[in-house]
Amino acid sequence: MSDLVPFAVAVPIFGSIVALAAGVFRSKSGWAVAVGASVLQLAVAGTLAASAFGDERISYVVGGFDVPFGIELVVDGLSATVLLLVAGVALGVLAYARRAGPRSNPFYATYLLLVAGLSGMTVTGDLFNMYVFLEITGLAAYALVASGEDGRSPVAALKYLIVGTFGASLFLLGIGYAYIGTGTLNMADLAVKLAESAAVDPTLAQAAFALIVVGLFIKVAVFPLHTWQPDAYAGAPDTVSGLISALVSTVAAYALLRVVYTVFGTGFLESNPVAEAMLVGGAVVSIVVGSLLAVSQSEVKRMLAYSSVSQFGLIVAAVAIGNTTALVGAAIHLVGHAVMKGGLFLTAGLVATETGARTVEEFNGLVDRSPVGAGAFGVLAVSMVGVPPTVGFAGKWYVAVGAAESGAWALLAVIVASTLLTLAYFARLVERMFFREPAPQPAVERAGATTSAEPADAVADGGGGDPRGASLGMYATVVGAAVLAVALGFAAFGYGELLEPTIERLLLSP
Amino acid sequence: MIEAIAAKDYYIATFLLLGIGTYVMIAAGNLVKKVIGMNIFQTGIFLFFIASAYVEGGNPPILTTEGPYVSPLPHVLILTAIVVGVALTAVALGMIVRIYAEYGTLEEDTLQEVRHSE
Amino acid sequence: MNEIPSLRPLAAVLAPAVAVAPILASGARPNLREAWTVLASVLTLGLVASMVPGVLAGDVYVTELGSLVPYVDLALHADALGILFGLLASTLWLATSFYSVGYMRGLGEHSQTRYFAAFAGSVASAVGVAFAANLVVLYLFYELLTVATYPLVAHDETDEARAAGRKYLAYTFGGGVAALAGILLVVHLAGTTTFVAGGMSGLAGADPTLARAAFALLITGFGVKAALMPLHSWLPDAMVAPTPVSGLLHAVAVVKSGVFGIARVLLDVFGVDLVAALGVGTVLAAVAAFTLVVASVIALRQDNLKRRLAFSTVSQLSYIVLGLSVGAAAAPGEATKWALVGGLLHIPAHAFMKLTLFFCAGALHVETHTDDISNMAGIGKRMPLTMGAFAVAAAGMAGIPIVAGFVSKYFLLLGTVTAGDLVFTAALLVSGVLNIAYFWPVVYTAFFESQGDSDEKPLLSGVLGGRFGRAARADGGHHGESDDHGPFERRAPNGAEGSWFVVAPILFAAAGSVVLGVVPDAAVFLQVVREIVAGATAMGVVV
Repeated sequence: MSDLVPFAVAVPIFGSIVALAAGVFRSKSGWAVAVGASVLQLAVAGTLAASAFGDERISYVVGGFDVPFGIELVVDGLSATVLLLVAGVALGVLAYARRAGPRSNPFYATYLLLVAGLSGMTVTGDLFNMYVFLEITGLAAYALVASGEDGRSPVAALKYLIVGTFGASLFLLGIGYAYIGTGTLNMADLAVKLAESAAVDPTLAQAAFALIVVGLFIKVAVFPLHTWQPDAYAGAPDTVSGLISALVSTVAAYALLRVVYTVFGTGFLESNPVAEAMLVGGAVVSIVVGSLLAVSQSEVKRMLAYSSVSQFGLIVAAVAIGNTTALVGAAIHLVGHAVMKGGLFLTAGLVATETGARTVEEFNGLVDRSPVGAGAFGVLAVSMVGVPPTVGFAGKWYVAVGAAESGAWALLAVIVASTLLTLAYFARLVERMFFREPAPQPAVERAGATTSAEPADAVADGGGGDPRGASLGMYATVVGAAVLAVALGFAAFGYGELLEPTIERLLLSP
Repeated sequence: MIEAIAAKDYYIATFLLLGIGTYVMIAAGNLVKKVIGMNIFQTGIFLFFIASAYVEGGNPPILTTEGPYVSPLPHVLILTAIVVGVALTAVALGMIVRIYAEYGTLEEDTLQEVRHSE
Repeated sequence: MNEIPSLRPLAAVLAPAVAVAPILASGARPNLREAWTVLASVLTLGLVASMVPGVLAGDVYVTELGSLVPYVDLALHADALGILFGLLASTLWLATSFYSVGYMRGLGEHSQTRYFAAFAGSVASAVGVAFAANLVVLYLFYELLTVATYPLVAHDETDEARAAGRKYLAYTFGGGVAALAGILLVVHLAGTTTFVAGGMSGLAGADPTLARAAFALLITGFGVKAALMPLHSWLPDAMVAPTPVSGLLHAVAVVKSGVFGIARVLLDVFGVDLVAALGVGTVLAAVAAFTLVVASVIALRQDNLKRRLAFSTVSQLSYIVLGLSVGAAAAPGEATKWALVGGLLHIPAHAFMKLTLFFCAGALHVETHTDDISNMAGIGKRMPLTMGAFAVAAAGMAGIPIVAGFVSKYFLLLGTVTAGDLVFTAALLVSGVLNIAYFWPVVYTAFFESQGDSDEKPLLSGVLGGRFGRAARADGGHHGESDDHGPFERRAPNGAEGSWFVVAPILFAAAGSVVLGVVPDAAVFLQVVREIVAGATAMGVVV
C-alpha cells in the first residue's frame, strides 16, 4: 500500500509532461490528457484514503534513505482528506474547463503541475520538501493566473508572484531556524526534538514558529497579508479562479495545521502564549475585516475573494483553539469551503458566460436570464452563510463547539457573529438576483463604469470563452457543487467520527 | 562590541540583504526592479543557510578529504532553492514581457493610470 | 410515556417540502400547481392528525435519522407540544391554500409559482420546528423558515418590499445567531441538546451565571420571531407581503415558531423548576407585559388595517409568552398550571382569530382595494359576511365570551391572580380594554358609517374620546389610490361579495374561533395543552 503514495505526486507530474509533449503532435489534446491523469490521481487518492482511515498511517521513504535523513511521505486521515479533495476538485473543474477554456496544451500541463504541487504539500512529511512543493504550487498558480487573455491577468499574477514568493521565503527562513535548532527536517523527528525543551534554544523555536506561520499566513491570505488574493482571483480566467480558490489557500491552511500540530505541537502553544495570540489575532481580524471588505466590493469575483479571507479566518481560529472537535471542524470547513467557494467562482463564470454580468449591479434580476446560475449561486450562498443542514453549518458548528469546549468565549462570539457578517455580503446579492428588475441596458452602463476591464467582450474574458455559451459540463459542475454543499452537510458527522482518531493522534504526538 | 559583530558577520550580511530586498520590492516603481529586489531577498536566505553549515576549520564534505566536514545538507537544500528561485525569476520576467506588450510601460504608477483609464 | 419509532413526523415535514418540486415544475399550468399545494396540505394535515390520538394517550412518535454533528441527533419527535403547533400549522395551511388561490388570482399577482413554492417550503419548515427533537434541529428548521419566507416578504419586488425583506433577514438571522450562541452554551453546560420534558438534568447543576446567559441568548434568539419588544419592528414592515402570508406566516407559523421556541426553552430545556430557581421567568414576564401593553397602544394609532393587525399580533404573542413565563416562574401549584394552560391555549386561539382578521383584510383588498381604515366607512354593506367574521374575531381578541380568546385569557388571568402577580393581571386587563379600543372603530366604521360623512369624521376615535386628525394617516402605509373609493354598494351575504375561495376560508377560520370558545373541551387543542402541562410539570392531569 505504501508504495502507492509517491504516485499521488508522480501521476500528475507525468501527466503534465505528457500534456506538453502531446501538444507537439496535436494541439488541444491537453484536456484529454488532463482528464486521464486526474482520474488516475483520484483513484490513487481514493485507494489511499480507504486504507488511511482504517490503519494507523501510511508512510513511504523516498529513495530508500532512512528516516529522519531521507524524505518521508505520510498519509493519515487528514492528508488523505485533502488529497481526495485536491483530486476531486481538479477533476470537477476539468469538466467545466472543457468549454470555458483556456484550451492550450501548456495550460493543462501547468494545471497538472499545480495538482502535483498541491498533492506533494499534502503528503510530504519533510519540512523542506514542503517548501519545494509550496513553490511548485506557487509557480503553477502564478502561471495559471497569468493565462487570462486581457491585461489584468499578468499584472495580478506578478503581484501574486512577488507577495507569494515573499511568503514562501519567510517559510524557508523559518525552516532554517528550525533546522539550526534541531539539525533535522523530518516533521516527526522535529516534533520529538522540539519537545525536548532543554535541547533547543526556545528563542530559535519561537523565531521558527513566527516565520513559518507568517509565511503560511501570506499563502492562506489572512488579513492583512491577503493583498495578492482579490487581484489574483479576479484577474484569473474563471476556470482558474475556481480551481485556485478551492485548492491553493486550502492546502496552505492544511500546511499550517500540519506544521503547528505535527511539528510544534500543543505543548509549544501552551508554553508560548504569544504564539497562540498570533493565531487568534490573525483569525479574528481576518474574519471581521475580510467580511467588511467583501461588503464594499462592486465586482462579484472580488467580493468572493474577500469572503475567502474571512472564511480562512475561521479555519485559523480552529487551529488556534486546537482541540479535537475544532480541528475536525477545520478539516470539514476546509473541504466544505473548497466546494462552496470553488462552486461560487465557477457559477460566477457561468453567469458571465451566459449574460456577461460581472459586477454586483449587473446581477440585478439574474434569475430570469440565468436561472441555473442564480439558483446555484443562491444555494451556495445560503450554505456559505451557514444555514443548517448545509456543510457550511457543519464546519462552523464543529469549530464553535470546539471553542465552547475550550472556553474560548471571545473567539466563540466572533465565530458565531461571522454568520451575520457573511450574510451581510451575500444577502444583497441574493436580493438583487431574485427581487430586482434587470438594469435596462447593462452593456451601456458598464461602458461608463471604470472598474470593469473589457466591457465589450466580457464573455471572452474567460480566456477563450466560447460564443456558443455555456456547456453541459459547466452546468453539471455548478449544479454538482450546489448539491454537494448540501449533501456533505449530512455526511459531516460520519466523516468527523472517521477523522477523530487521526486528530487525537495528532494532538498527542510529542 | 566590534568582536561581537565580527563573530556574526554572516548573519548581519544576511539580514542586510533581507532588508534591502524587502525595501526594493516595496519601494521600487519599476517592475523589473521589484523582481531584482525579490532576488536579493532570496539571496539573503541562501546565505543564511550556507552560513549555518559552516564549521570552524571544516573541510568540504568529500570522502577523500579529512574531517571535520562542514554540514552538507544546507548546501543541498540551497541548491534546490536556487533552482526554484531561477524558475520564479523566469516566470516573473515572462509576465513582465506580457505586461509591457499590453500596456507599453513597466512603471507601476503609469500602469495604474493606464488601467484606470481603460 | 411510550416512544414509538415512526416515520410519520418525518413524512409530515417531507410532504410539503417535496411538494415544492412539482409546484415549481407545473408553473405553466396554474390549476395543476394549485392541486399540488392542496394535495400536500391535505396529506400533511392527515399525517399530523393521525398522530393526535396516540399523543393524547401519552405516546411520542420518534423518527431517528442518525447524527448530524456532535451532540446532535438528526431526530424528529412528535410530542404533545409539537403536535399542538404542527396540528395548528397544518390545519390552517389547508384553509390558507384555498384562500391563497382566491387572493393571488383575484389580484392577478406576478410570480405566483415562486409564491406557492415558497409557501410550501415555509410550512415544511414550520412543521419541522414543531417536531424538532433537539435544539439544533429546531434551529435548523428555524433558519430554513427564515430562508423560505424571505421570498414571500420581498414578493412585491418594490423598494418597500425589498427594504422589509432586508430588515426581516437582518432581524431573524441576528436572532438566529443569538440562538446559536445560546445553544452552544447549553452544549457546554449540559452536554446535550435533546429536549427533555421537565428540563435537561445537566443544566440544573450548572453555573447559574452561565445558565442565565444561555437563557438570555436563547430567548433573544427566539424572541425576534416572537416579536418581543424591542425586537418586533420587522413584523409591521413585513406586512408588505401578500395577505395570506401575513395571515398564515406572520400571525401563525413564523411568529409562533418563535413563541414555540420560547416554550421549548422554558419547558423542555430549562424546565419550570430551574427557570423559577434562576429567577429569569419574572424578567421575561415583565418584558412580555411591557410588550403587550405598549404594542396595543401603538396599534391604536395605525390607520393601515394590516399594520394595526400586526401590532395586535405583537401584543397577543406576548400574552402567550407572559402565560408561559408566569407559569414557569411561579411556585409549583395551581398558578403554574393555569398560567401555562392559558399561554399554550392562546397559541391556537390567537391563530384562528388573527387568521380570520387577516383573511378579512385581504378580502377587502382584493374586492375593493381598501387598505386604510379611514376609507372603510360603510364597507360592511358591501361585504357583510367578511365584516361579520371580522367582528366576531375582533370580539374574541378582546376576550369577549363565546369566542376563543375568552377561554385562554380567562386561564391567563386566573394564573396571574393565583400567582399573586397582580401587576401582570392589570397589564392583561388594560390590554384587553385597548383591544376593544382599536378593533371597535373598525367594526363601527364598517357597519355604522357611510362614505358621505367621511369628510367630517375623525379618522380614528381615541380611546378616551380624543380625536386624531389627518396627521395620523402618516402612520399607515400610503397608497396613492386611497382617495378614490366611492360609496360602497350593498350586496347580499350570499357569495356576491367575493370569490368563495376567499370567503369560505374566512368563515372556516371564524367558525374555528367560535368552536374553540364555546366548547373548548371538545376541541382537541385544549386536551393537547393539558397533556403538555402534565408532562412539563409532572403533576398529572390538571385543570
